[in-house]
Amino acid sequence: MNRFVALLKKELAELVTVQALLPFVIVVIAFGGLGQLMSSVVPEREATVPVALVDRDGGAYAHAFAAALGQAGLKVVAVQPDEPQAAMRRAETLALVEIPKGFSAGIDAGQPQRVATWVKVRGFSFLGNEHGTRLLAAVESANAAVAAAVAQKHAPGTAPAVMQRPVVPEQHVIVGERSAQASVEQVLGFVTQQTTFIPVVLFIVIMFSSQMVASAVATEKESKTLETLLSCPVSRASIVSAKMLAAGLVALVGAAAYMLGMRQYMAGIEGGLRAGMEASAAPEAALQALGLRLDAADYVLLGLTLFAGILVALSIAVVLGAFAESARSAQALLTPLVVMMLVPYMLSLFLDLQALPGGVRTAVMAIPFTHVFLAGPALFMGDTRAVWFGIAYQAAWAVAFIAVAARVYASDRILTMRLGRRR
Amino acid sequence: MQPVLEASGLAKRYGQLEAVRGIDFSVEPGEVFALIGPNGAGKTTTLRMVATILTPSAGELQVCGIDARKEPARVRERIAYLPEEAGVYKNLTGIAYLRFAAALFADDARERDAMVERGAEVSGLGERLRDKVGTYSKGMTRKLLLARAVMVRPDLAILDEPTSGLDVLNALEVRELVRGLAREGMAVLLSSHNMLEVEFLSDRVGIIANGRILASGTAEELKRAHGARNLEEVFARVATGGGAE
Repeated sequence: MNRFVALLKKELAELVTVQALLPFVIVVIAFGGLGQLMSSVVPEREATVPVALVDRDGGAYAHAFAAALGQAGLKVVAVQPDEPQAAMRRAETLALVEIPKGFSAGIDAGQPQRVATWVKVRGFSFLGNEHGTRLLAAVESANAAVAAAVAQKHAPGTAPAVMQRPVVPEQHVIVGERSAQASVEQVLGFVTQQTTFIPVVLFIVIMFSSQMVASAVATEKESKTLETLLSCPVSRASIVSAKMLAAGLVALVGAAAYMLGMRQYMAGIEGGLRAGMEASAAPEAALQALGLRLDAADYVLLGLTLFAGILVALSIAVVLGAFAESARSAQALLTPLVVMMLVPYMLSLFLDLQALPGGVRTAVMAIPFTHVFLAGPALFMGDTRAVWFGIAYQAAWAVAFIAVAARVYASDRILTMRLGRRR
Repeated sequence: MQPVLEASGLAKRYGQLEAVRGIDFSVEPGEVFALIGPNGAGKTTTLRMVATILTPSAGELQVCGIDARKEPARVRERIAYLPEEAGVYKNLTGIAYLRFAAALFADDARERDAMVERGAEVSGLGERLRDKVGTYSKGMTRKLLLARAVMVRPDLAILDEPTSGLDVLNALEVRELVRGLAREGMAVLLSSHNMLEVEFLSDRVGIIANGRILASGTAEELKRAHGARNLEEVFARVATGGGAE
């Protein structure tokens, strides 16, 4: 045990250097700074969205429409009729609404009217073009305001709400055996929000740890310390496991740093967009009723799945690292591992892995890391059996590769094995 | 007395290449046995087999009466190996490196501390032991590595080019050190290109070429047998096939 501790301390001393820690620190600071930037920029723009208004009608409904736009949070700047771009330049706005001539009379005559909107696209980011989405939302509520005015004039006895929206959908969702009042979008939004961090953490931890362990092995070969170490009275299994544990620990700390930075970043964005997020958030009661709250046991299972995934990656990386002649070539040798992780990661972003066609599904499910990506959604569906299966399947991979690693390190191959060259 | 190291018919094959082709030699306690030979003769492969980091393809190999092929782990408790181009962990300080290496051999903290103290003394690096090894010169690194090898008081020290990279004075110091340790009973198997060193250090010499030991004996015996003035001449004659026994 003491010998293993000595090995572990040595591995950590080699891994935890200023050069190694610097990227983590930079990431935390950079993400934190980005988050600050987001939270300061977004509300500033949110307060008022200036819109130019060309009113060619001047009737009662046109007034109601313009007033409703103002109530919906737009700063309406009335401009004289002109060519749209010139009018927007004059009013210093990025959007313009044009109410046509005969708008009010047309509505009274029972003919739906067209209101033209122009939105200047500024860059291609969502936040950069928020004025466009805000304008559309305001036009929708202004439409309702005009409908109310029409109802009041033509059918004074009728409740305006019924005239505007006589049918209100009441959405129910069924997850597994449970049902609750919520929309599919709300549930998907919540689950996605809760599980997005899993692939990110997994990806970071696995990439870091496998690179570190493969580099650690390759560096021992490159700097000629391996021969001395192998002649010492310490088991090969200890050498391998000390490297794996040290890399795993450092990677976890790295992942925590990334998560901290990411949290600050996300908090910044969410702070700015809170209003929008709340509108689409599923009510707490619905989430409870659907069983979409993860309890402590679920988090333990999730942790076990992640741990199994890390173990698989480390055991594969330690074998791949044995082929490397230098730390640089070790990075290239990790390509199969990267591909094994990228495939389920990319697929899980857009598809339901369980719904893939037969052969493809089997192939994807055979990749051990797929089960880490499936664990979160499976727990939300209450399918703990699938999660346990995933853990067992990954454990089997890890055991197999640790056995291979032990064989490689116990034989001459650790010194003689090289890719593409023979001694 | 039982030899510390006994090799018979020792061979190593890498695929088609026969690096060592059945060699026999032994090293007694307190004896320094040197393997000399041209590059690619099989010296390092032999040393690596004795150090248990390569498995012999054939033959017998006993260290302190332990079968190195069957029980390499037990052999590792009795040996210390200094590879020719050995490196060090650059992020560790000299003293941390000695402490790490001692912890792999010692059974308890007291034994470990005694080893480290001895290693620090043997290295002669003084205060520099507190600096990171990455800042050391080649000579300093070599002395640290040699100190690491001998501080554990092995029964057999396997030294591949022990004075490689050292200046004249440091090399002299190291040779005196090795001789002194041998006098205390440590057996030494070494390889070197420096014939002066070999003549000064070794009790017996084995000349190896193409994976075979072509001649062995004391430096005096070899010189007499080959009618040579020094070991360099013996080496040149034997290694080029001009005077094999």
